[in-house]
Amino acid sequence: MWFQRLTIEHRVLAGFSLVFVGILIVSAVSYHNMNILLMNRGLDGRSQDLIQLLNNVDVAMSEAEDTHRRYLVTGEASYLEAYKRVVKQKPTFTAYLGDLIRESPEQQQRVALLDRMMDRQLNAESKAIAQFQEGGFRAIKKIAFEGAGKRELGVIHQIIADMDVHERQAVGRRVVESAAGTKTTIVLLGIGALLQLVLLAWVYYLIRHDITERRRVAGELQRRGELLESANKELEAFSYSVSHDLRAPLRHIDGYAALLRKAVEHSLNDKAARYLQTISDSAKQMGQLIDDLLVFSRMGRQEMLHTTVNLDQLIKNILVDLRLDLQGREISWTIAVLPEVQGDPAMLRQVFMNLIANAVKFTSTRPIATIEIGVEHPSFTEIVLFIRDNGVGFDMQYAPKLFGVFQRLHRADEFEGTGIGLANVRRIVHRHGGRTWAESVPDKGATFYVLLPMRGRDS
Amino acid sequence: MTAAKPILLAEDNPRDAELALAAMEAEHISEKVVLCHDGAEVLDYLYCRGQFKSRLKGNPAVVFLDLKMPKVNGLEVLRTIKTDANLRPIPVVMLTSSREERDLAESYALGANAYVVKPVEFHKFLSAVKELGTFWGVINEPPPENCRSTH
Repeated sequence: MWFQRLTIEHRVLAGFSLVFVGILIVSAVSYHNMNILLMNRGLDGRSQDLIQLLNNVDVAMSEAEDTHRRYLVTGEASYLEAYKRVVKQKPTFTAYLGDLIRESPEQQQRVALLDRMMDRQLNAESKAIAQFQEGGFRAIKKIAFEGAGKRELGVIHQIIADMDVHERQAVGRRVVESAAGTKTTIVLLGIGALLQLVLLAWVYYLIRHDITERRRVAGELQRRGELLESANKELEAFSYSVSHDLRAPLRHIDGYAALLRKAVEHSLNDKAARYLQTISDSAKQMGQLIDDLLVFSRMGRQEMLHTTVNLDQLIKNILVDLRLDLQGREISWTIAVLPEVQGDPAMLRQVFMNLIANAVKFTSTRPIATIEIGVEHPSFTEIVLFIRDNGVGFDMQYAPKLFGVFQRLHRADEFEGTGIGLANVRRIVHRHGGRTWAESVPDKGATFYVLLPMRGRDS
Repeated sequence: MTAAKPILLAEDNPRDAELALAAMEAEHISEKVVLCHDGAEVLDYLYCRGQFKSRLKGNPAVVFLDLKMPKVNGLEVLRTIKTDANLRPIPVVMLTSSREERDLAESYALGANAYVVKPVEFHKFLSAVKELGTFWGVINEPPPENCRSTH
């Protein structure tokens, strides 16, 4: 499953992203529904105002009809005043109505009609009043009884009733709409909350699982660290007793061989003398092997320093120390300008001491030896140093054995040595976080490479 | 005066002891050597007790001390010597097979006067022991004996 391939970070991120998207969606829908609710509430208020206004208009128009008729009949001025108040109010009604029905084209049509009807009613009535004032009651007798705008008033009642119904229906529709909106919001919030809860629980499970796993790994690491430490202590005790107990018998072998030689000096023939010499030499050789092995083992346990090492200076010092080995040798040196690296100065010194001493040793059969020390591929992260010679070299098929402990590719009578040098080189370079390898063509020479990271670290 | 003072050699290994004595024989100082086979014997000698109850009083010219010995090891003997006001002046030379850094550090910290690693090659061992015996037993002027040893 693709999901299994995601790292814990990606899974948690995915979980939180889904929760975030969920919150966004729920928020957006809720906001939208809330907006509709608020808008409906505003519209409802307006509808109530309109219904109220329509009622007022209805009452006012009825009053206009009523008062003008009473005036026509009685000629009482107070009726005329009351009528004129309605006439004066009429533009305000129209303006309010226009204001309240802006959103509805149907109501606008009705208001336009209503306005016309109101105008016609008031016009007819005003005309009747004018006739009455000119010609007296006789002139409008018939009108007075019927009412000048009676017919229009009827239409007005009808329009207002229609508008009232329409508005109440609109209010009803909005109530349903708001209720539905609220319901979907609640349902959505519920589902969203549930989904987010599930998602969060899942993320929690992932994190918790990861923490448990990490804790387990940390515990395991600690356990292994303790094991390693005790193994190291054991090794230390072992090498201590090697250094102490194994040397003594060797000293005895050599010592008693010497005492024996002294005791039988006068009767010793060449063969017996050679046997005794071999006993001594073997003891010495084993002593050397033990010493080398102890150095090698110490190299792995010893605390490492981390300082800046000037390789130029390091190489110069090594060549000074090697001057006895260089006596009577013709060697053409090519030494590049070397950089500074991070690491343990004493250990790195041993690396280059071994490699240079090897180059000197394995070119001893050459009339003119050439040894080159240089840098390849320097970068910000790592550096490759090399030591190239024109010595006897080695067959590349034995290259894997080259850096093993006590591995030798030459017979002891060709080139001396215990075979610990390159093992030390590899161990030190590994502890610096680097690599080492070699290339060679037999009888043409060898090149040893040392890759060091530019920021040192202990392995 | 110095010729009278003995050289104390603490060596549990009879072969090492024999080789050391053989080396000193060549310099005619082997007769001054008193051999102790473990740390306890060294302390018995220094405090004139046990088998050394009736020995002549006086500190040795030098103590050659092996590190690894039965009963009481070299470092413990060294600690005892260097914390006793009467014994502290005695030169103590550690003569051992160990080249371990912690042994070196601990020995010097406890006040060892010298630390010599026994070479594997006999001729080197021979010359080392000869030189040590000659230097500490003959050339070096031991501290004056102003305090009598206790017990």
